[in-house]
Amino acid sequence: MNKQSEKIDSAVPEWQLELDKVGFVRKLLLARKWYKGDWWFVLVSAVLLLAIIILGVFPQWFAPYDPKAEVGPSLLAPGEETSGFLLLANIDDHVETLQEIATKTNKIGYIMGSQATQALRDSLEIMNEEAEKEETGITYQPRGYRYEDVQQGLDALQAGEIDGFIVSSEELGDHLQDYPGIYFVEEVRSSKASSFILGTNQLGQDILSRIIWGTRIALIVGLSSACISFVIGVPLGLISGFFGGKLDRILTLIMDSLYAFPGLILAIAIAAVLGAGIGNIILAIAVIYIPTYFRVVRGQTMTVKNELYVEAARSLGTKTSTILWKYVFPNVLPSVVIIFSVNVADAILTEAGLSFLGLGLPPDTPDWGIDLARGQDYLRSAWWLITCPGMMVSLVTLSFSMLGESLSEILNPRLSEL
Amino acid sequence: MNSVETLKQSEDYILELHNIKKYFPVQKSLLEQIFAGRKDFVRAVDDVSLNIRRGEAFGLAGESGSGKTTIGRLSIGLEELTDGSVVFNGIDLASLKKEELRKLRQKMQVIFQDPMASLNPRMTLGSSVMQGLIIHYPELSDQHRDMVAEIFEKVGLTPANYYFNKFPHQISGGQRQRVVIARALITRPDLVLADEPVAMADVSVRALLLDLMVQLKNEFNLTYLFITHDLATAKYICDRIGILYLGKLAEVATVQEVYQKPMHPYTKALLAAIPVPNPRKRRTEVMPAGEIPNPINPPPGCRFHPRCPIAQPDCAVDEPPLVEVEPGHFVACKYAKLS
Amino acid sequence: MDKKALMEIKDLSVTYQTRLGPVSAVDHVSFDIYKGEILGLVGESGCGKSTLGKALLRMIDPPGEISTGEIIFKGEDIMKYDYNKLRNFRGKRASMIFQDPMTSLNPVQRMDEHLIEAIGVHEPGVKRESALKRSKKMIKRLGIGADRLHSYPHQLSGGMRQRVMTGIGLILNANLIIADEATTSLDVIVEAKLMDQLREIREEFGISLLMITHNIALVAEMADRIAVMYAGHMVEIGDIYKIFEHPKHPYTQGLLASVPNIQFDANEELYKMPGEPPNLTHPPKGCRFHPRCPHAMPICSTREPSLLEIEKGWLVNCWLYQKHQD
Repeated sequence: MNKQSEKIDSAVPEWQLELDKVGFVRKLLLARKWYKGDWWFVLVSAVLLLAIIILGVFPQWFAPYDPKAEVGPSLLAPGEETSGFLLLANIDDHVETLQEIATKTNKIGYIMGSQATQALRDSLEIMNEEAEKEETGITYQPRGYRYEDVQQGLDALQAGEIDGFIVSSEELGDHLQDYPGIYFVEEVRSSKASSFILGTNQLGQDILSRIIWGTRIALIVGLSSACISFVIGVPLGLISGFFGGKLDRILTLIMDSLYAFPGLILAIAIAAVLGAGIGNIILAIAVIYIPTYFRVVRGQTMTVKNELYVEAARSLGTKTSTILWKYVFPNVLPSVVIIFSVNVADAILTEAGLSFLGLGLPPDTPDWGIDLARGQDYLRSAWWLITCPGMMVSLVTLSFSMLGESLSEILNPRLSEL
Repeated sequence: MNSVETLKQSEDYILELHNIKKYFPVQKSLLEQIFAGRKDFVRAVDDVSLNIRRGEAFGLAGESGSGKTTIGRLSIGLEELTDGSVVFNGIDLASLKKEELRKLRQKMQVIFQDPMASLNPRMTLGSSVMQGLIIHYPELSDQHRDMVAEIFEKVGLTPANYYFNKFPHQISGGQRQRVVIARALITRPDLVLADEPVAMADVSVRALLLDLMVQLKNEFNLTYLFITHDLATAKYICDRIGILYLGKLAEVATVQEVYQKPMHPYTKALLAAIPVPNPRKRRTEVMPAGEIPNPINPPPGCRFHPRCPIAQPDCAVDEPPLVEVEPGHFVACKYAKLS
Repeated sequence: MDKKALMEIKDLSVTYQTRLGPVSAVDHVSFDIYKGEILGLVGESGCGKSTLGKALLRMIDPPGEISTGEIIFKGEDIMKYDYNKLRNFRGKRASMIFQDPMTSLNPVQRMDEHLIEAIGVHEPGVKRESALKRSKKMIKRLGIGADRLHSYPHQLSGGMRQRVMTGIGLILNANLIIADEATTSLDVIVEAKLMDQLREIREEFGISLLMITHNIALVAEMADRIAVMYAGHMVEIGDIYKIFEHPKHPYTQGLLASVPNIQFDANEELYKMPGEPPNLTHPPKGCRFHPRCPHAMPICSTREPSLLEIEKGWLVNCWLYQKHQD
């Protein structure tokens, strides 16, 4: 009877054994059933984060242009085509291409301050390169003539003072009908791209590239400042909560006074003292988040240290350091993980804020905060300057905090059966 | 070997409690502290002396607030004494440094009441049990896993490998209690403090657990200090029982004596109050009046006298000492023999 | 012994929606509670006895729900009550005492306020003075000094709190009191006294008492009839004397044999029932007890037996007492 009873007693239910055989991936899929919404949240945010991290680590793979270079006309709206420039000439000259009228002896006119000069320069550059390759010996270098407006230029062309006139279609308007002797030869384009997915900023830099490179800065600042606060705040909280006494009182006092200070203002003050530079920004942000970790960890530690399993560990003769590390810390960790993810998001926002105020990074750095700050002057005319980096800040913030919140549900061991 | 031990009186006892006291200060607001002038104490344990023989199972029984758990914690040095001394294996615990006491814990282990709460929810069962080995037998690190598997089999957790990587929430309550027992026994202790080890288990599981504890006691030559509020359960595992009332021992005797010839009026009431699983034997005795008094201001004299059916006038004045009325049967009541 | 049923429970099931699918904590249970009786409902943790107790007052909260069944109280189906009728039913005609009276009493309300409020809610016409008078009388009846009437719950002992909880039900002349592990947190002597009082109250007020407990000895001490639950099923129900003397269901047999007995007898040993109660998310097929049953037959693992009467007023849910092929 006794033997038999023990055998049955130790028998593990079959369904549990079966579940054990199931692989990790399948378990994850099964988890979808229990956690429902949370599971999808974790999945979506994890995929998003992964994408963002890859972007941040290898921006050069994705960014089409150098974020610091002027690659197009300024303030080009997303997807907008740069219009080409029209080359006009006299019908009598029978000109068919730019080459014919672009030698040293030729004269080409344009309107003062027009982007046409750039387009002309670029076209000439290309032509010269080709000529060098084919060793024709020709140098394309027409003399430029500037005019106040279209009419002056067209008059000069008709008069034969210049061989060609380059003008954009907007500048030209419907003036061409007044000059029957002048005709359209071909379009002259600048070598730069004609359209940008997210448009360009006021300096003609590609916004997409800046955002992609900005991811790197955001991740570096967000993650490292969160890590620094974590590494400092968590052990302090553990020690303070576990040992209590005078040390606890002093630490709590310091942390509370730090915590009571408005975060951004503190960061501004620290950044102002330390000066600009990515390292200083990280430090400034890290300091303001230490109390958050400290408070939560201290509170949790005070609860956990009274748990029976800590008492059990002590009665087993476990060293205090082991108790802290193996018994208290793992049970405090879940709440810290959530803070961490929210903290990363917060840090990115703070960094954007600091850069926005000019206390952050050098102004040409591709950074969301800086872009936001610079874009605000053009808010009415160019909405895309602010919208795109702003959305990225929200997206990263959201995916970090989404991951944190839903992880809290899944990380709770008492809830997760099996 | 046995004869040598009986010769040396002190070695006969694995644990000696000499007049131990434990007073907990009462938490008060600042205003009260200023005006009351003196500090109040909860007299959780008040002058208890007890000797526990090597290899016996000694039960400490009493209602909530009787101080049974505090005595348990005091006797293995988990709590600091207010007064008196605890001698374990001939060593006075108070004479030990912190580090020495930590090392000595190998020899005295605890089985807690609530297995769920006493297991780290984020540690696998295997590593929970292995901790004791890591602490006390670091030199055998290559055998740790096998030793854990062996103890798992011993407590009936088979297949051991299945349980090794499970977490506490993944197994049933009875199995968790087995893990807690395994954790206590893996360091090969001499004394095991069992604090209501089966109170949380279901009736149908309880019998198996008790049986397991008796089996393990014989196999590992253990001494149990068994703390319980349930006298019915204590009967199946204990050799001797001490009945506590308000931090004092009311009666100490063998299980048989306590159940068949209880002498202290409190023991009698306690035994009568326990329901008998037989509808034809329903209780007819009248229960003592009132409830356990406040341990901050216990009644003077015999602490049971306000509720005692045989109380005499002098019971309120003199505190009755614990005297040996019959061989091995101690009672703290002057009029015990009268009734 | 033909008694009138106060409450008839027919085919009651309570289902919880969990991550692992629906779990029926109470699975098609039918029984009656007679007028003026003490019915002891016993079972191990997780067998559904507490859920059943709550279901009788329709106090099941999501994710659980009463999925099937009728609860007929004095000829009316409680399942069809609307909110107001149900509220009136709870408290006034049936009330519940919980394991921890500290959490079921409002900590910032004095005892008299609790009682007066109970009267005020269910009998709006009653004046405060007469309510107070009734409360005083009730408190005295329960053996609590009248001076305790102005105490807050934390100033009372556990036994007193439980008596006040009982008083709240009694003061409204409830017909049925459901005591869910009401004495589990109390010490034995206090428990014994509360039990004495409940017995007296039953006699005096003629109420029915449903005692839900894991303490089988306590049921033997108190009850007229006993109902045994296992894994959401009612396995045996009948007269207390008959069942304690000759339990029919193998689970009842094992359960009774494993109850520790204070009566000293050196040879006596507890029955060691193998295994542990099943996880209700994956209950065994057929009879839910068959993996632990010493009398298990082939049919037990395939088909569920039903709760059938083997003698007047004695129902057993076991294939041993039912006709079957093979």
